Amino acid sequence: MPLDTSTYSLALLRIDGRRWNDLRRLHAQIHTQDAADGSSYLEMGHTKVMCVVTGPAEPQAGQKKGTVGSAQATGQKEGASIVVNVVVAGFSSVDRKRRGRNDRRIQEMEITIQKALAANLHTHLFPHSTITVSLHVLSQDGSLLAALINATTLAVIDAGIPMTDYITACTAGSTSSYAAGDDAADPLLDLNTQEEQELPYLTVGTLGDSDKVAVLVCESRVQVSRLEGMLVVGVDGCKQVRRLLDGIVKQKGRKMIKEGAVRRSDMMAVSLDD
Amino acid sequence: MLDDESVAQDEDDEDEEQGDARDEILTPGTVITSNSQWMRGHGTYVPLNTSSITSSLAGTLTRTNKLLSVRPLRARYNPEIGDLVVGRIVEVQAKRWRVDVAAAQLAILQISAINLPGGILRKRTETDELQIRSFFAEGDLLVAEVQQLHQDGAASLHTRSLKYGKLRNGVFVAVAGTGGGAGVVRSKRQLWTMEAANGGGKIDVLLGVNGYIWISKHIESDAAAEAAGINRMEESVSSQIYSSQNNHIDVTTMREIARCRSVILALVENGVKVDEDTVTRGYNEAVEFGRESMEDDIYLGGERGQRLAAALAGR
Repeated sequence: MPLDTSTYSLALLRIDGRRWNDLRRLHAQIHTQDAADGSSYLEMGHTKVMCVVTGPAEPQAGQKKGTVGSAQATGQKEGASIVVNVVVAGFSSVDRKRRGRNDRRIQEMEITIQKALAANLHTHLFPHSTITVSLHVLSQDGSLLAALINATTLAVIDAGIPMTDYITACTAGSTSSYAAGDDAADPLLDLNTQEEQELPYLTVGTLGDSDKVAVLVCESRVQVSRLEGMLVVGVDGCKQVRRLLDGIVKQKGRKMIKEGAVRRSDMMAVSLDD
Repeated sequence: MLDDESVAQDEDDEDEEQGDARDEILTPGTVITSNSQWMRGHGTYVPLNTSSITSSLAGTLTRTNKLLSVRPLRARYNPEIGDLVVGRIVEVQAKRWRVDVAAAQLAILQISAINLPGGILRKRTETDELQIRSFFAEGDLLVAEVQQLHQDGAASLHTRSLKYGKLRNGVFVAVAGTGGGAGVVRSKRQLWTMEAANGGGKIDVLLGVNGYIWISKHIESDAAAEAAGINRMEESVSSQIYSSQNNHIDVTTMREIARCRSVILALVENGVKVDEDTVTRGYNEAVEFGRESMEDDIYLGGERGQRLAAALAGR
């Protein structure tokens, strides 16, 4: 057993010293690459990913077929199609395992992100074009899918593609096993690798500040009665992540105004309601 | 260390926000107004079952009478009729070319929208269609104007003016992120000639609205053609305008063209917008920088670029 869960009930501190509802340090940058249409870099604890968005642009030759277009997903005809590629670096985890392009787990993550984006982006504004999202995993320490979704959101915002709202994600787990029958056990927020291996967990992504769930992935066996608690904690974590990402975008925007690259607002949004 | 910095910056920014709320940045999902007297423009949407105008981009608010729109911080080029663009031929088809203009879709240039050698009265024949590659082939660069926009947002170009056509004698620079950020902004003049330093002669700078830039040696237009007057000017169009052969360019001119390119890249790297004013002033600064050392370094990356941007900001 890599993680002795029994110690949790004594001090109520997790293996890395966090409380049950603490996020890890989230550090992110937006517009990291000059040549890209949109780019971002995101760290959630030791999970580090970067994202580059290209497009909306003319589809590359050979890309037209075989991609899951957004047409079916959004019910709109002829909208931009979305292509997601995830590359996991060989040095990203402890065991140096080579993962090919056809790795099932990676493919599932790609499809999850693609579906979430297709429902959220206003692709109908860009007919006959493709939006390509390239994600690179540099370091893995749990909550990988959540980090990928958050990095994608930032890069898409940087690319200036209209979207309904932020999609932010994080993971939630449950400390209690079925055998223990401990109903009062705390759900945990934002799991690291050790906790992910030990505990049942799910990844949840929500739309902006609302409670609307855009992504929900659960690969482990969880007792149904625990699910609600995990979901509540996860959704709450997503809101915390949204606030952090929103701060990063706004900080970047203010910096651009200060540099004179962007004009200021003509008027304040608040004054429009009168 | 990074964290401390960003925290300190946050506090700074909060102080400023109190100073001027117009520095506010709208982000996706921010409700702009729920008052029904306003109309929604670009960069906004109205969520289902509500009547509140909501932002769909990160950017700043613009108001045109009753129309509210969000100007994005950065976005890809969106063609508009009348834009001067620099493009690259990607595909040659039977009667038209497909041109990369950094937009969401490739632009279209019809063979009927170019000046054919031999004058305006010449009839377009099948021979022209058969030798379509002799005018523009794949990879050729050209300057054109957006003539019309199609239903799906694709642009049609035309080069029916002596100002437009194939580009030669220069260097291409692509700048990402138009419409905001460090990119080319629409201005009164996108094309100008400037006197190069160090005896480099004259150089033309052409800032395509789409963020594609062409810097070239200035070629004096043919005096005989000018004398012929506007009506006959197009008749004097010779096959020379579709030549892909460069004129002779002095090494000094090449250096000044390269310096101008470095200036534009340095402006972009340091988040300064690219227009006639910033490029000419930046170029003059760069010439001064070059005189500081013997080897006259035209590279303007890193610290030197920051110095250039600071000099421009300080005026």
